[in-house]
Amino acid sequence: MALVVGINVAVSLRLLTTNSPTTLPGFDKLYPLHWLGACFIFISGVALLLAYPAKALTNPVFYLKVASLVTALIIAFKIQMRLQRSSSDTRYSLSTKTLAAFALVLWIVTIFTGRFLAYTNSVLLASRFY
Amino acid sequence: MIDFLGGFSQFTGIYGFMNSMWGWPVIESLHFIGLCLLLGTVGVFDLRMLGLAKQIPYQYLHKLVPFGVAGYLINVTTGIMFLTTAPDQYVYNPAFQTKMLFMLLAGINMLSFYGFCNQYVQNAGTNPLPTRIKLVAGISLIAWSAIIVCGRLITYFRPPYHWCLWC
Repeated sequence: MALVVGINVAVSLRLLTTNSPTTLPGFDKLYPLHWLGACFIFISGVALLLAYPAKALTNPVFYLKVASLVTALIIAFKIQMRLQRSSSDTRYSLSTKTLAAFALVLWIVTIFTGRFLAYTNSVLLASRFY
Repeated sequence: MIDFLGGFSQFTGIYGFMNSMWGWPVIESLHFIGLCLLLGTVGVFDLRMLGLAKQIPYQYLHKLVPFGVAGYLINVTTGIMFLTTAPDQYVYNPAFQTKMLFMLLAGINMLSFYGFCNQYVQNAGTNPLPTRIKLVAGISLIAWSAIIVCGRLITYFRPPYHWCLWC
């Protein structure tokens, strides 16, 4: 998670803190590592979900986390595509910078909801229902 | 030491806040955000020095280091809040002690970077770096990764349930 968020933070901060025309050469090369981290998030997330399915699936915070995580990953993919298409003198548009800022907010929401999952569950085991 | 840390927490109101309904998870979330800032700036800079994404000039990433410093300050502040609220759960905890050792290593490593490597890296453009600088970057990455792992393990090695060599 820290790897994925970390790379997004680096790209977003670089996008948001520069106005120079030659902004982000090579930043798209960080994304293979980013998607490797995303695979780890998926595998560990599925394992945690399988371990305590009722705990997660009965908690609305879980759905908020998944929604913000998936949206943040879609935005990461869109930013990656824009970085790959850009040339060395590309000046990034306001929409790309808005996406970067939105992505940062979504990652913060993902982190908060992920942490709050451990404190907001009302059901631990599915056996409670039968 | 335990009494001093606990007294500090009570005196400053940290204890009351941390034991409020959402105090602990809010500070845990901020701790992780600080970590992500650190890893996104210092960690990515380390990876670049090790040879990843060779087209990125080093100074582009070095400009993000102040955000990493901000992340570090967030982590120190929130870390002190955890430590002083439940000092006995940390001071005698082998995972916490190992985490502190790696933080010390990361700190010394950072000093050696700014003492011996920073000037070279600033002027290197996108050229490959010598082995000694890559070594510093590698140690930094290993230390921060170990800090994350040890931080995660703290909750599973709470004293007095787990024996350790120095407890």
